[in-house]
Amino acid sequence: MKVAQRFLAGESSPDRLVGLAPLIVATILIIVLPLVLPAYLQSLMTRMLIFAIFAMSLDLIFGYAGLISLGHAAFFGVSAYTVGILMVRYDVELFWLGAPAAILASALVAAVFGIIALRVTGLYFILVTFALGQLVFSITFSVGWFTTAGTEGVTGISRPDLGFLDIAWNNRSYFYFVAVFFAICGFVLYRIVKSPFGIALQGIRENEPRMRALGYNTWLYRYIAYVIAGTFAGVAGVFFAYHNGLIAPSNVGFLMSGLVMFMVIIGGVATLYGAVLGAVGITLLQFFAADYTPERWPLILGGVFIVSVMFARQGFGVYLYRMWKRAIS
Amino acid sequence: MDTFVLGMLNGISFGFILFLLASGLSLIIGVMGILNLAHGALYMIGAFAGWSIAEDLGLSFWLAVVIGGLSAGFVGLLIERGLFRYLHNQLNEQVLVSFGLVFVLTNAVQWAWGPIPRGQFTAEILSGSLNFGGYTYPTTRLAIIVVGLALAVGLWWLQDRTRIGSVVRAGMDNREMAMGLGINLERISVAVFFLGSFIAGFAGVVGAQILGASSAQSVDVLLLSLVVVVVGGVGSVQGALLGGILIGIVDAFGKTLFPEFSMFSIFLAMVIILLVRPSGLLGKKA
Repeated sequence: MKVAQRFLAGESSPDRLVGLAPLIVATILIIVLPLVLPAYLQSLMTRMLIFAIFAMSLDLIFGYAGLISLGHAAFFGVSAYTVGILMVRYDVELFWLGAPAAILASALVAAVFGIIALRVTGLYFILVTFALGQLVFSITFSVGWFTTAGTEGVTGISRPDLGFLDIAWNNRSYFYFVAVFFAICGFVLYRIVKSPFGIALQGIRENEPRMRALGYNTWLYRYIAYVIAGTFAGVAGVFFAYHNGLIAPSNVGFLMSGLVMFMVIIGGVATLYGAVLGAVGITLLQFFAADYTPERWPLILGGVFIVSVMFARQGFGVYLYRMWKRAIS
Repeated sequence: MDTFVLGMLNGISFGFILFLLASGLSLIIGVMGILNLAHGALYMIGAFAGWSIAEDLGLSFWLAVVIGGLSAGFVGLLIERGLFRYLHNQLNEQVLVSFGLVFVLTNAVQWAWGPIPRGQFTAEILSGSLNFGGYTYPTTRLAIIVVGLALAVGLWWLQDRTRIGSVVRAGMDNREMAMGLGINLERISVAVFFLGSFIAGFAGVVGAQILGASSAQSVDVLLLSLVVVVVGGVGSVQGALLGGILIGIVDAFGKTLFPEFSMFSIFLAMVIILLVRPSGLLGKKA
């Protein structure tokens, strides 16, 4: 309301409009593109949004709290497996039952892993998160209960039953369904990083001893951030399981943790929109690579990533944003 | 009693493989403060290069051990000169670049050698088994114990008992002061990185006697060596040795207790040690 009044009075600051413009463009794209694109591209866009949620969740712990977590796919996997196992083994098709249970499972695993991993900091933290991620991977890999029909992983996951909402599922309606939750997650995470909690988290990243001297319980801040990040990774895992139809150990392992880490770095660390742009860009790149040279995809991904770390440390997403700002003003 | 002794022996020989895996990694962390996640990939390069020498070309296994070490050492040298040199004191960037290298190197090895894993290979004199005190035991496993012990003593001697070792430790403790005393730390970083990578490749060929060679090793070996480093404590040869043997024994008995969770007992040991002693058994208090 205030903004509108100021805008009408001709006081609107151009900075604010410039800041909002990409958001408006993105919203229009999200609404309009699925109406004109073919079904397989709608599915690709769904994948982008799922990974955007996943990448934003990692950005909270990696970008804002400054902790490198190499096992983030574990939380994604726990919820995806929960959705799959509930549906395939217990016939729980209701979204309002399956999704909260899965997200809760991720949050609980994050709460336990956080206690173990945050015993240590620095290089040790990286080591431990990696090992915990591989622990989840090895359980999904070696325990027979987590595989169905003799394949690797849980197959036969269908799109959920929404109960009172009667939606006919196709690629387009599922995209809009995910888009709603993407918007909610983006908004909540935005509020978190802009809150006093988020600011304190960044303070801890920059100078932990000083924040401790100011009376902050730095361990607790990091722990809460870790659990929140795990929970939102769980949200992404839920939509991934419904979208993909099957969930395999490879979706939980090292490659997945790497993929999402690459998205955050290439897009731009400690900016939520950077994580989103990274997810969109990498998913698009993966889509073309799958057509052109699927075997060499990890080589391309790793190469792009190394170049990005060496030469574009702030991420390509941030460069895009700056270019946009310059073009506008 | 027999199964207990055999379990111990299997555990100890696997523990020495783990020590071989972890010692190069631990050396680079301890001396240079770089967490090189591409360590498992260097191991894998050594194992495949060794396979090519010993099986494809039919040359001697001992040559394969040397070439395996040298090829990993050479790749390590390229990594240090081409990438890490520009990332001094940027710990996060170093970790992330080495993380990207895992993907690049693993895929490059798949490209060069194909996706099919290779079996065990060894020298002819090591392929039998030895008899002692009523037990028969594969010679390769005993050879691995001997090699591991020799490497442990050699590294400890190099780090703690030679001039080079004390120069390296001085550089680690106080970089500016060491450089002020006219020590060329640049050259030392290169040498240590080469040595750590060489040990990784060397371990690749020695370990291939039991583990073979496969592209999955770039992650699996990394994982095992990280667990060893976490359990034993960063930076000391003794820590890597203790961690390796402990994890080897835990693994040997864990496999008989919970066969379905082959990795589970290892992780359990790691978690318990982290909760009791976060900096590892022989690590310095952070």
